[in-house]
Amino acid sequence: MTDFARPWTCPFCPLLCDTFGVEAGAGGALALVGSSCPRAGAALAACSATPSAAVPAVEGRPCDLDSAVTAAARLLANSRQPLFGGLATDAAGARALYALACASGAICDGPPALMQGVRALQDRGGFSTTLAELRTRADLVLCFGGLPTLRHPEFLARAGLAADDARLLVLGDGDDRFETAARLAALVEGRAVEGAPAPLAAAAERLKAARYAVLVFETAGLGPHGALLIEMLQRVVATLNRSTRAATLVLSGSDGGNDGGNGGGGGDGAATVNQVFTWLSGLPLRSHAGPHGLEHEPLTFDAERLCADGAVDLLLWVASFGPEPALPQTSLQMSLPRIVIGHPALAAAGADVFIPVATPGIGSDGHLFRTDGAVLMPLHALRPDTLPTVADVLRRLTAALAT
Amino acid sequence: MTTLRIRGGHVVDPKSGDDAARDLFVRDGRIVGASVEVDEEIDATGCVVMAGGIDMHTHIGGGKLNLARLLLPEDHRNTVPRPASPLELASCGGCAPGTLVTGYRYVEMGYTAAFEPAMLASNARHTHMEMGDTPILDHGAYVMLGNDELFLEMLARGEDFQRIRDYAGWTINAAKAMGVKVVNPAGISAFKFNQRKLDVDEAHVHWQVTPRQVVQTLARALLELGVPHPLHIHGSNLGVAGNIESTLQTIQALDGLPAHLTHIQFHAYGRDGPKKFSSAALQLAEAVNANPNISIDVGQIMFGQTVTVSGDSMRQHAQSGFASPRKWIGADIENEAGCGVVPFRYREQSYVNALQWVIGLEIFLLVNDPWRVVLTTDHPNGGPFTSYPHLIRLLMDRSFREEQLAKLHPEVAASCALRSITRELSLSEIATMTRAAPARLLGLHDRGHLGVGAAADIVLYRHAADFEAMFSTPEYVFKDGALVARSGRITAMPVGGTHFVAPDYDRAIEKSLRKHFAEHGQVNFDHVAIGHDELCRCCNGGRLLPAACFEGQPT
Repeated sequence: MTDFARPWTCPFCPLLCDTFGVEAGAGGALALVGSSCPRAGAALAACSATPSAAVPAVEGRPCDLDSAVTAAARLLANSRQPLFGGLATDAAGARALYALACASGAICDGPPALMQGVRALQDRGGFSTTLAELRTRADLVLCFGGLPTLRHPEFLARAGLAADDARLLVLGDGDDRFETAARLAALVEGRAVEGAPAPLAAAAERLKAARYAVLVFETAGLGPHGALLIEMLQRVVATLNRSTRAATLVLSGSDGGNDGGNGGGGGDGAATVNQVFTWLSGLPLRSHAGPHGLEHEPLTFDAERLCADGAVDLLLWVASFGPEPALPQTSLQMSLPRIVIGHPALAAAGADVFIPVATPGIGSDGHLFRTDGAVLMPLHALRPDTLPTVADVLRRLTAALAT
Repeated sequence: MTTLRIRGGHVVDPKSGDDAARDLFVRDGRIVGASVEVDEEIDATGCVVMAGGIDMHTHIGGGKLNLARLLLPEDHRNTVPRPASPLELASCGGCAPGTLVTGYRYVEMGYTAAFEPAMLASNARHTHMEMGDTPILDHGAYVMLGNDELFLEMLARGEDFQRIRDYAGWTINAAKAMGVKVVNPAGISAFKFNQRKLDVDEAHVHWQVTPRQVVQTLARALLELGVPHPLHIHGSNLGVAGNIESTLQTIQALDGLPAHLTHIQFHAYGRDGPKKFSSAALQLAEAVNANPNISIDVGQIMFGQTVTVSGDSMRQHAQSGFASPRKWIGADIENEAGCGVVPFRYREQSYVNALQWVIGLEIFLLVNDPWRVVLTTDHPNGGPFTSYPHLIRLLMDRSFREEQLAKLHPEVAASCALRSITRELSLSEIATMTRAAPARLLGLHDRGHLGVGAAADIVLYRHAADFEAMFSTPEYVFKDGALVARSGRITAMPVGGTHFVAPDYDRAIEKSLRKHFAEHGQVNFDHVAIGHDELCRCCNGGRLLPAACFEGQPT
């Protein structure tokens, strides 16, 4: 069912592959053609080939869109400090979300892994590269933390690498990632490192000898102090760039639900929202327009923390690509009022107001940033949809809040 | 349809030569001839009336700008926090402001159009989205060529010039660009091959082509495609002492072909004197005065904190040790180009920075023809665009200039040629450098002037002895006939239009481009070009403003 005059862009991981097709599969679901990518396959299987019959609900009772928007606007108007999370939407959704965030004074936060990358950039900067550069130029690809193929199944194919490619090197896939990264940085700088394992010393030599080395890492796998790891990897790159050429490539895809709902779910909506908020306001996520103007707090505006501390009294959750990202457990434990603007599969999430929306790239057109942040990819609807887009719903909500 | 009369203002309109009091009439978003039936009237007595300002080189949108915003949250925390008008959404930032506040501040200063000079084709959708989210201002962008591996490969294998020209034409159409910029010709690519310097006649270590060939080929291609804005050149060796040599070689390489040399201040350095760093403004001005095919914008530096954002990853890497605060971002991008984002603080007491400031002003005052000099700070590289009123005062008011000069590093203050330059620019010369000249250089026939038929982008500045105050807060700003700012406060928020050109080219080139993208690209060829509908969505539904290409000789 792909319109081949206009190829399909897969929205389900931030590689945003656009060379595969889609057809109507068994039982009315969608099936991938031209790739065996398990992430795309699973996500498509959760999407119907026919428009969804899902309807909005207020306190579990089905209703029309106007009633749901009115109820959501009432919740927002009564909230002293709302939190917007999930953020799995496209650029148009992000534009509309910013206007609503300004109108309601909401704090916005994405998945924790995303902010690890933002904080590393804020503190130290870095040198990055993109998929086409890697494919064309890299004579050494160091995957730090393991091969990224679980979260990004098409990575090796996109990079032009075989699984046993001689250019491929894996480091830091054990429990000693911080030590490995620190030792690697020291070795590359030419310092003596006592007790450095021979393979690590050999890896440092290979990096120094490479003409164009790319250090690949996934933000989702780095853990709570990932920003420090990213800084160490950037230090390796900075050292190499004094004499040869090197760069990092960040893979920002989530676990698709395997990391306790913290991932960001299907697609990389939150990274796109982060870009859009940054250009509109000048500040990234974990910001809000408060009584003292725009405030940015990269640590204290962590969604999990705000929920757990009772610092917010309403959660608006956006998840248009699939059932993930799921609502944070803390928001359920704290029984926060919840507005969910999401994939029909989130109907069972127990929201006070639930508004089902179209999935960009399935039921609507859209735009998402690719993992390297350099390319904004167009998404195309595979079929018409009865459901509104996230942007539609948010614009109506902003208008309702203003009346 | 209502008619507005702007009565009795001092109309400064360099295109017509007007520089005296007269009425202006506006109907349906356009300037019309004198009308007896008037529905609305504004008393402009005591005001200077000019066309809306046009900034033809300002980094207002795209990937590297957003990296700069991400890099500098501390810069943003210190800026004006609250929206000044209920129409505004919160937005902040000093040297790398959000798009919203960029639009608000430009319009409050009397600017109605701004052009992003360094759009990567692969980043074009993002760039157009950011410009579309810059309220009120019309906008457009120059797409980068001359460091993409395909262009260099075509040049290296001696491909037919026609094919290279068609590739440039296709790229402009695909990216919906207003022109083409070349940044450090072949140098960004060379840096990916670990070359650290590239002179005008030095060969790229891999492709064995020279910046001279790149500049010649692109300048000729744009002329043949009929693109109104000639090749926009960020030359070789930016910021390097002695780089005047490269700049003069680049002018010579053009061999009479039209070209615009951008942020020329950064390319006008000698290596004389005790610190082996000197002003080459006089040599530069002589070359510009002698070559009518050349236009420039200055890229004046202003003292204080800013951030330098550039496609020139080679030079930005070399300068990254001067980063203040000490952090920077670099990138190699999609076999097309790169970028470098280096925060920087220009200091009055630094010999080099003081001299850079002097060199910029010397260039403004030594080039004879204001139609070939555009007022820019290369925002934010030399300083944020909000410093334009201060810069205008420096150019118009010699005693103010002397006062500022006295604060500089003593060796610079004592010995620079600027001390003996008495020229003060007139209102008409400022109007030329900030609206009439950029409109002409971009081929915008209905902008930058106040003649009958022009778009009613009109600014009323209350006349004042302090030109900085005068140019900071105009009394009235009209965009396409609508009042958009009144005394520094936004009064309406129309979406700006998108300027672009659509030159003809031989579509046969697409076959080999499709093959190239399949082998080396990471985006499906059918996804590369942006259509009109998608451009409109990216730009928030603003009007599409295609500029006409010329046939034969440019006008």
